Formats: sequence, C-alpha cells, structure tokens
Amino acid sequence: MGTTASQLGKDTLSEYQELTFLTKQEILLAHKRFSELLTKDEKDIPNIRISLERILTLPELKSNPFRKRICHVFSTSEHKDGSLTFEDFLDLLSAFSDSATMEIKSHYAFRIFDFDDDGTLDSDDLQKLVNCLTGETDETRLTPEEMRQLITNILEESDIDKDGTVNLSEFQHVISRSPDFVSSFKIVL
Amino acid sequence: MRAESECVKCESQIVEPGGGPRDTFKVRRPCRVMILVNPNSGRGQALQLFSGHVQTMLTEASVPYKLVITEAKNHARELVRKVDLTQWDALVILSGDGLLFEVINGLMDREDWQQAIQTPLGILPGGSGNALAASVHHYSFPSAGFSQTKELLLSCGFMLCKGLVGSMDLVSVHLSSRQRLFSFLSIAWGFVADVDVESEKYRHVGPIRFLMGTLVRLATLRVYQGRLAYLPNTISKTSVETQSDGNTKALLLDSLLPSLDEPVPESWTVVKEEDFVLVLAIYQSHLAEDLWAAPGALPDDGAIHLFYVVAGISRPALLRLFLAMEKGGHLDCGCPYLVYEKVKAFRLEPLTPQGMIAVDGETVEYGPLQAQVHPGIGLLAPMCPTSLPPPSLCRS
Repeated sequence: MGTTASQLGKDTLSEYQELTFLTKQEILLAHKRFSELLTKDEKDIPNIRISLERILTLPELKSNPFRKRICHVFSTSEHKDGSLTFEDFLDLLSAFSDSATMEIKSHYAFRIFDFDDDGTLDSDDLQKLVNCLTGETDETRLTPEEMRQLITNILEESDIDKDGTVNLSEFQHVISRSPDFVSSFKIVL
Repeated sequence: MRAESECVKCESQIVEPGGGPRDTFKVRRPCRVMILVNPNSGRGQALQLFSGHVQTMLTEASVPYKLVITEAKNHARELVRKVDLTQWDALVILSGDGLLFEVINGLMDREDWQQAIQTPLGILPGGSGNALAASVHHYSFPSAGFSQTKELLLSCGFMLCKGLVGSMDLVSVHLSSRQRLFSFLSIAWGFVADVDVESEKYRHVGPIRFLMGTLVRLATLRVYQGRLAYLPNTISKTSVETQSDGNTKALLLDSLLPSLDEPVPESWTVVKEEDFVLVLAIYQSHLAEDLWAAPGALPDDGAIHLFYVVAGISRPALLRLFLAMEKGGHLDCGCPYLVYEKVKAFRLEPLTPQGMIAVDGETVEYGPLQAQVHPGIGLLAPMCPTSLPPPSLCRS
C-alpha cells in the first residue's frame, strides 16, 4: 500500500481504519501532521521515510523520556535508524491511542523498555530505563548504590523463574495491577 | 463487651517507643481459631504455607483450629456475616489483605456488629498484599526487618500462638453510591492506587514488588485533578457513637462526616492545590511488605495518616521518595511536594474523569468519597510484648 503525502485515498483511509485502533479523524490528523514535517519535494514520494531527528521535533514526542526507543520500536527501516514511514507513524499512534487494549499497550511498553531488543528485560535494560526516568544531570541520576538496590529489588521479586530477567508475561502481570496504565500510556496528537 | 469479660489483662504491657504502655488483653485459653484461606492467594501457595508451617505451629501450641477454604469472592464476607461467633475466639486470615477486608465488612454487616467487631482478628501473610502482616510485625519488632514472606509468616504465626491482642482503628468510608465500607489499611488515589489483582492467568506469579510498577508509572506520569479537605487530628479521641434505628439495632454513626453533597464543615482544612500526583490515607505503618509509608503509625493511634504529593514533582524526585519509603525515610527527603498530615476525617473529590481509587488494595467506584476514623473498635491479634525475642532466635 503506498501513500503519498499529497493525498489519502478513500480506500486507503478505510483500510487504515480497519488495521489500526485509530478513528478516521485521528488518521486524517496524523496525515496532516506527518506531511507538515516533509519538504515540498518529498511530498510526492510514495512511502517516504522521515528521519528520527525530524520525527522527534513533534511536540508530543519531544519531551517523552522514551522518544528514541518508541521510534526504534515502530520503525520498519532496514537500517534500524528509527526512521518512520507514514504507516509506521500510524502504527505508533494506534498503539498509544485511547482505544488500544491493555495487551497491546503492555506489549509495546515491554518492547520499548527492552533496550537491547533481546526479548527480555535484564539488569542493563532496567538501568537504562531508570536513567531515562531520572534525567540527564548528575544531580538527578541515582547513585550506583541506589541503582543497584533498585535493580536487585525489581529482579528479586519480578523474576519468578530466576533467570535474571523479566519476561513479557511477568511484566504484563505488573501492568495488570495498575489498571490506569492504559489511560496513562498515551500519545494523542 | 465479650472480650473484656472473658479476657485477662496481660501482666506485662507493651511499651511504646514513646514510653507509654499500651493495653493488651490475653485471649482465653484454649483459644479456638477459625482460619480462612484463599487457595488462589499469592502464587496459589497459601494452602501449602498453611500445611507446611502454620499447622505445625498451631498444633505445637495446642491451639484448636478449623480451616475454611474460601471458594469465591465474597464467600468469606457471607460466611462471617452468618457464623455463630460464640464458637470462635479469633478469626485468622491466611491470605493477602483482600480477604481481611471481606471479613471486617462481613462482621460490620451483622446486626450484632458491636460485639462481632470485637472478635480478635489475626493475619498471616499468604497473598500478594501483606501490608497488615508487615505492619503487625513492625509494631512488635520495630527494629527487626525481614527479607521474605516466609519469615514474616513465621513471625506472625509465632505471635498468634502467644495469643495477645490489641485494639485496632477502623475507618468508615462513604462512596457516592451511598455505600459504606470499613477499611483497616488504606485509601489510595493516583500514582499509588495499585490493585491487588489475582488475575487468573498470572496467579502463579506471586507478590510482585511495587518497584517495577513504580517505574512503569513514572514512565507514564500523570497528574490528577481533585479537591481534598480534612479534619486535623487535634481534637481529643472520639468515642464510638451509635444511634438507635428505632428497633434494637444500634447504628454506628459517622458523626464527623456531613452528607457527601454538603460542603465540609468550617473546622476542616481545605487543600488549596487541586493538581495531585497521589493522595494516600493510611492507618497502619506499612503499605506493602517493603513500603514503610507511615513511620510512627500504630494500629490504635486514632489517626488517619494522610499523605499527598502535588503536581510539579519531577520523576527523579518521586522515584527517590519511593526508594526512601522502603526504610521509612521519605519524610526526611525534604521534598516540598510531599505533604503529611494526621487527620480524623477527610474528603476527596476527584475531578479527572478517568482514574482509580483503591480501598485496602481493592478498587472501588471512582468518584467523591469521604472517610473518618473509629478509634479502637476492632481487635487485632497478634500483638506481642517487645521483650520477647524475634522468632528467628527461637527456631531450633
């Protein structure tokens, strides 16, 4: 399915509605915002990819601590550079939309937190997760001791099969204890 | 009260950290105990924990008991509502906090609630929410920590066999549907409202520490709008107030609370901020095994410990608060966004349309609520003089 920025055909629009959790209005708005990121020449190229840097200028992503991981997870680029086509962009918005289910959101949350993309959350992934949350400056970061305590506690209790990592089902169980996760885990244009 | 006529006041009294003694009563011997177990609780291991540890302890201490295995939600509540309480000296819950919630509300549902709620209640940890068990352990052994649920279980079991009880505050909670509940642990809104979900699929997974959930919530940190008001704990201890309903039943009055649709009384403090990250009311010391939320709280101090965090706090600062809470150090963090007040009653009116409120770890309907404390109307077992050594030294 190809989409240029200049038009979104009626059939394509219907297909997108069927394939995502997004409403017609949300898809049209996404299309508009995506097009605004393109140069004049790029607008006629089908399946154009926007670079990670440009996507991150979107205000909805700019201040999200996981903005880079989010783009990487939804990018279908062979170069694994976090660049997004319009359809990648729709997949992203769909997973973060109001209508997406707990299963979908927790699945993607897990992938976003899985920094080394190996299918489990190990000690390194958790450290990177915490560092994303505690910010960039030395003042706000946890001390090595605090980090160690935190990671040990998490793994000790979440890691049921004692393999040193948290797998998807263990993670999803945690998510199931906070039902407002679905309404918090959101990106809406 | 039945408890007084049949109990012997304990010779040695618990000495509080502040120095004053606390009254305790010894339950009569032999003490017949009904033990309620939720077989699905905490990794489905509650029954194993019973037969593996608790049963032995009870037998060695010559405590006659009956084991009741609960079959569904509200089974315990219904049972307790109808049971002949003259046959039992204590009701013990081997499960998470959810089952105790059912038992307490079942007792308060009864016509003879005033006597019924004086049935000593015991808790042994066996589920995923063991806040009360952790609190009870803390009250008796303030300097002893524990690293596993099993240690906590042995500690509580040991204390239960010694048979001492102390009084316990209960909090009456009014919801907008006019429903009234009784709570023994906490009311939470916002960031903290973690639900004790015994999800079918993940029953085997067991107690997941709060911290993983904390990180995920930090990642999606949001602000909740609402109005909060409270009655500070400056007035003297209120006594239990009842009112006749015209027949024989005495109703427990929530004299501090006006109707939910009326404004709060002038004596109340209205919080001026309306953007919150969390509001937590707690009346035990621990919110979870590793969350010492209210250092200094006692089960019968007649107070609700109200904490709230206003919007504007950064993620790192909030994370630091929760890390510090493991050792009860969050009040020393000097965080200007965290406020702590001891209150007798409070009202919360959430304005954010989507959210969650949890009472004792169970979700309740989302909407305005108010609550007040009823000091010392329940009896909590076990309590133990601090002169006894912690169980780990007794095990041979």
